[in-house]
Amino acid sequence: MNHCVPDFHEMNDDDSIPTPSSFSRPKKTTTGEEEIMELLWQNGQVVVQSQNQRPPNRSASSGEVVIPSDREIRSSAEEQQHLFIQEDEMASWLQYPLDDSSFDRDFYADLLYSTPPPPPLTTATAQPRAAAEIRPPPIPAPVARPDNPPRVQNFVHFSRLPIRQRTARESSTVVESNETPAAAPESRVSHTVTDSGPPVNADSATVRTGGTSAAAGTCDYTVASSPGSSPTSFSGDTHQPQHKPAAAAEDRKRKVREVDDNECQSEDIEFEAAEGKKQGCGSASTKRSRAAEVHNLSERRRRDRINEKMRALQELIPRCNKSDKASMLDEAIEYLKSLQLQVQMMSMGCGMVPMMYPVGVQQYMPAAMGLGMGMMDMGMSRPMVPYPPMMAGSAMPNPAATVAHMGPRFPIRPFHMRPVPVPDPSALQPTNHADQVSNSTAIPQNQPRFQNFPDPYQQYLGFHPTQLPIPLNQVVVQHDANKPSTSKDIGNPHNQQTGIKTMLLLRHFTLYTE
Amino acid sequence: MSSRRQQSRQSGASRITDDQIADLVSKLQQLIPEIRSRRSNKSSASKVLQETCNYIRNLHQEVDDLSHRLSGLLQSTDADSAQATIIRSLLM
Repeated sequence: MNHCVPDFHEMNDDDSIPTPSSFSRPKKTTTGEEEIMELLWQNGQVVVQSQNQRPPNRSASSGEVVIPSDREIRSSAEEQQHLFIQEDEMASWLQYPLDDSSFDRDFYADLLYSTPPPPPLTTATAQPRAAAEIRPPPIPAPVARPDNPPRVQNFVHFSRLPIRQRTARESSTVVESNETPAAAPESRVSHTVTDSGPPVNADSATVRTGGTSAAAGTCDYTVASSPGSSPTSFSGDTHQPQHKPAAAAEDRKRKVREVDDNECQSEDIEFEAAEGKKQGCGSASTKRSRAAEVHNLSERRRRDRINEKMRALQELIPRCNKSDKASMLDEAIEYLKSLQLQVQMMSMGCGMVPMMYPVGVQQYMPAAMGLGMGMMDMGMSRPMVPYPPMMAGSAMPNPAATVAHMGPRFPIRPFHMRPVPVPDPSALQPTNHADQVSNSTAIPQNQPRFQNFPDPYQQYLGFHPTQLPIPLNQVVVQHDANKPSTSKDIGNPHNQQTGIKTMLLLRHFTLYTE
Repeated sequence: MSSRRQQSRQSGASRITDDQIADLVSKLQQLIPEIRSRRSNKSSASKVLQETCNYIRNLHQEVDDLSHRLSGLLQSTDADSAQATIIRSLLM
């Protein structure tokens, strides 16, 4: 890089080069000296000026000019560049702008912000020093000339960005973003070449990345992150080639993502080639370790997500005092089933009640008492009142009450409905609520057995919980169809009646859950 | 579960939780209609848990709504009618 300086210095004389003034891109390269030399892109020519020197001419509308000038510059740059900069260095440098007109345009737009452009673009060559005195300034707020006139366009690309550290990840991305117009302003700023000592060499990767991120949206992101990271990165790794390769690898990955939008892919290829050499050194291990880190991080994040959801679920389940995941999930499953059942029952009840009006109450009572309870003696026309209280006790709307008790508890309550219409609801926990589901199928079978109320319970015991989803309506229908002879008391199958019965039956089972 | 725990001894706690979670998550998956309608083998634990929480909240909401409706219906019926009893039972 140092050798380039002379060229640049010489170039200072070339101020004479036509400078439309509207568009000059100061490019900062950090030479060994603390001074910041800028490569000013004036009308397509590269002019090196120390930071202090500012081209006098600054057109007001640099932005506009920039765009058209981009093309000019590009073309002219080619011609001129070789004049000012050593060929090898320039070559890579040149290629970048030439490759992509659109890119340049974007790039220039960024330059408008006039902060020294973030580097790394073009140095495809592995010789960072080369013309690149242009150190891709780390992202940190550019100490250099924040007040750079917008006119001055800094050439970001010459990336030998020193930002190649681990932390440089961000910076590298930033570097990449430098290329992208979106990030430009900030990147520019960051690029003020800090005095970091040795110029960044090999960060061809960084350079590459810079180039690639054309208008990637990531640029913005990277830019944002870079300010934070760049300072460290710069200070840290100016001289760490190993980091660079590693960073390069990362950058490469990043770049790959961004490349899609990038128009400067050609440059990337160059960089990659350059990086390849560097990669050899120790990037493999770092890559692996990094991949492992990433994997661990993602794994941890996933676990955290799951734990958080488990906690939320635990809060939803009433009276869940389990700390163990598995048991908690078990309870959740049971609670969910009971809730589903409850909702079904209630919705059925809501639907039933209005329908009951047209039907004579008398019909309902026996019907309700009959099938609904299943257990009750069909022959008896017990008043329904006693029954419901029994069920009411179960507090269906309060599934929480006994959720904890739900499960494979199959205490079959003897249904002493007839003599004592109100056996404790708690006692009525005949079977798993799941069994209720089957009532549709069970009922027909049980009809003949209604007389012994305990039996129907047993019938339900075996039923498959999968039947739960069966809509109650279906159940009702089945009832009608299947119970021609149900309770003798019930002469005509009424949908409502059967529906009610079913409902009561279900309700009964629900009690269990309570 | 004990077998799982024994298993886990060598692999640590993770083995238990993984197996258990997988098993229970699959059960949950069957219960939740949303997930069940999709491809059953696709969801992750976190997704299933999330859907479960949502589903339970929805069910709570439904229960509340139904309770309100039932209580309204109850008021409109005779105190001693069959319907009333039914409703009461439901609401209890």
